[in-house]
Amino acid sequence: KMAAAGGLRRAGWRLWRGRAVVRCQHYPPLRALQASATLRRASDEHKKEPLASSSQQHFDSPPAGHQPEQEPQGPRPSYTGQGGQESEDYESEEQLQHRILTAALEFVPEHGWTAEAIAEGAKTLGLSVAAAGMFHSDGSELILHFVSECNAKLSELLEKEQKLVQLGEAEKKPIDEFLRDAVEARLRMLIPYIEKWPQALSVLLLPRNIPSSLNLLTSMIDDIWHYAGDQSTDFNWYTRRAVLTGIYNTTELVMMQDSSPGFEDTWRFLGNRVADAMTMSNTASQVQSTGEAVVQGLMGAAVTVSNAETSRAVR
Amino acid sequence: RCRCRCPALLSRPAGALRAGRGLATGPEMHFGFQTVTEDERREKIYQVFESVAKKYDVMNDSMTLGIHRVWKDIFMHKMNPCPGTLLLDVAGGTGDIAFRFINYIRSIRERQLQRKLKHHQNLSWQEIFESYQKDKFNSLGDSQVVVCDINREMLKVGKQKAQHLGYSEGLSWVLGNAEELPFDDDKFDVYTIAFGIRNVTRIDLALQEAHRVLKPGGRFLCLEFSHVSNPLLSRLYDLYSFQVIPVLGEVIAGDWKSYQYLVESIRRFPPQEELKAMIEDAGFFKVDYENLNFGIVAIHSGFKL
Repeated sequence: KMAAAGGLRRAGWRLWRGRAVVRCQHYPPLRALQASATLRRASDEHKKEPLASSSQQHFDSPPAGHQPEQEPQGPRPSYTGQGGQESEDYESEEQLQHRILTAALEFVPEHGWTAEAIAEGAKTLGLSVAAAGMFHSDGSELILHFVSECNAKLSELLEKEQKLVQLGEAEKKPIDEFLRDAVEARLRMLIPYIEKWPQALSVLLLPRNIPSSLNLLTSMIDDIWHYAGDQSTDFNWYTRRAVLTGIYNTTELVMMQDSSPGFEDTWRFLGNRVADAMTMSNTASQVQSTGEAVVQGLMGAAVTVSNAETSRAVR
Repeated sequence: RCRCRCPALLSRPAGALRAGRGLATGPEMHFGFQTVTEDERREKIYQVFESVAKKYDVMNDSMTLGIHRVWKDIFMHKMNPCPGTLLLDVAGGTGDIAFRFINYIRSIRERQLQRKLKHHQNLSWQEIFESYQKDKFNSLGDSQVVVCDINREMLKVGKQKAQHLGYSEGLSWVLGNAEELPFDDDKFDVYTIAFGIRNVTRIDLALQEAHRVLKPGGRFLCLEFSHVSNPLLSRLYDLYSFQVIPVLGEVIAGDWKSYQYLVESIRRFPPQEELKAMIEDAGFFKVDYENLNFGIVAIHSGFKL
């Protein structure tokens, strides 16, 4: 019964991710961004195309490097006027924004998660520093971008490991070791930015950002459980999520103020929490079976009593 | 209503004006609620600002009850410039935006300096002194603002103000037409036009010029009176505009007609969505607007990507 439920869950998971891919491929054709395209074709002596009126659209082939997204990301911020109309260049503007944010990450250790880091990132791409005005001045988009990039990297990592196991080149890890390694790998991605990470955490807790950050967190946790496979724990789906989210968040906080070499205190803490979770599941199943036994005992007692009554009545 | 109060023509020496419609040459345009040709419109507007230049700031304060300062502050906050930004302020006449820009950059620079010093906790006093000296000469961090205006009188007033308030470095004053800017391509980080685009005769040309002189990634920002959609507020606003403002103009600046032109030109200016479409037509991306005070004023923003 548990195996079938697990199988259904996995199938549902694949369907969800498949839909995310299909959604991206149905985006309308794009009006190419002229200035950034010119920058990218640095060697090309192409003259700038005449400005297109809004009624005509260039139906260019999708710009090189456009890939359907593998990981469902948090809800995209919408850049619309108060009239509520979305511009057709949504996808290629977003690509440019992604590039700027990725370039900005290298300036975060120095400037923090701020508009200044984004401005420096834009400069390295050859754009004006004013391009940082496209984003919020508190750096929310930069942080959310970083988190979703990390989650994507984690998925790739887990996917590769799973392939190795399927090809028989590696042993399937026991559940507690798997969880421990996955959370450790994900937290290690924070190490280059660890000094400014508390600032990022507080920004992620702003009411404006909570839907997106929560979404990213839960999808990462679901990802880890998905690759952990359906192993013998008696947790149901919600409990699993809650348990692992708890482990992840508390370990992250411990990491913030860990000054031990190589963060060994953090990893030890992580190991302990995972072990606790495993014990808890055993206890829970013990409690459950004891409970069942008690109930059965009571039922049996009730049957016995009623039988005794009837037999006495008969006699 | 306003039409009967609006006098026919500004009195001018020969060669300039013709009466409204029949004898006009060239495409018909609006000058307030009158219909004039393109050239006439340019001339008339030049004259309007020539005559109000000296009292421009005083009139702004009295008409908007000082709120225009708040609007311009919000505008600057939206721009959020960082040191090293090159700003072109078009129709910037008396320099309000330019001075705010310089103040903003200075305060950011100070904060940067403080942060740097915090990191250098174990420097000797000598080294700290030297770093202060070095950065003092660079209090603007290479930021610069170019104020461009078509009207010589407005520029004169602006220069005087700058001298009076003590702004010297990072500021330049250029005489130029927004429809045909005297600058090279891809030069500026930010292009602003505050309460000026309404007076430009060919807005599409001005937008194209803005697109031309901005660097890739550069930002276009426009602060302008716009359309109030709330009906009750709209009526109060109309009442105030047509009954109070021209009177103030006469009393304070001795110039009823110019302020009559002002309120009429606000009514003739395209509303938010239309201006947004025009900006997009000029080739800007991520065009967006923000209403201030329910639409009395709107800030439009676009990027050259």
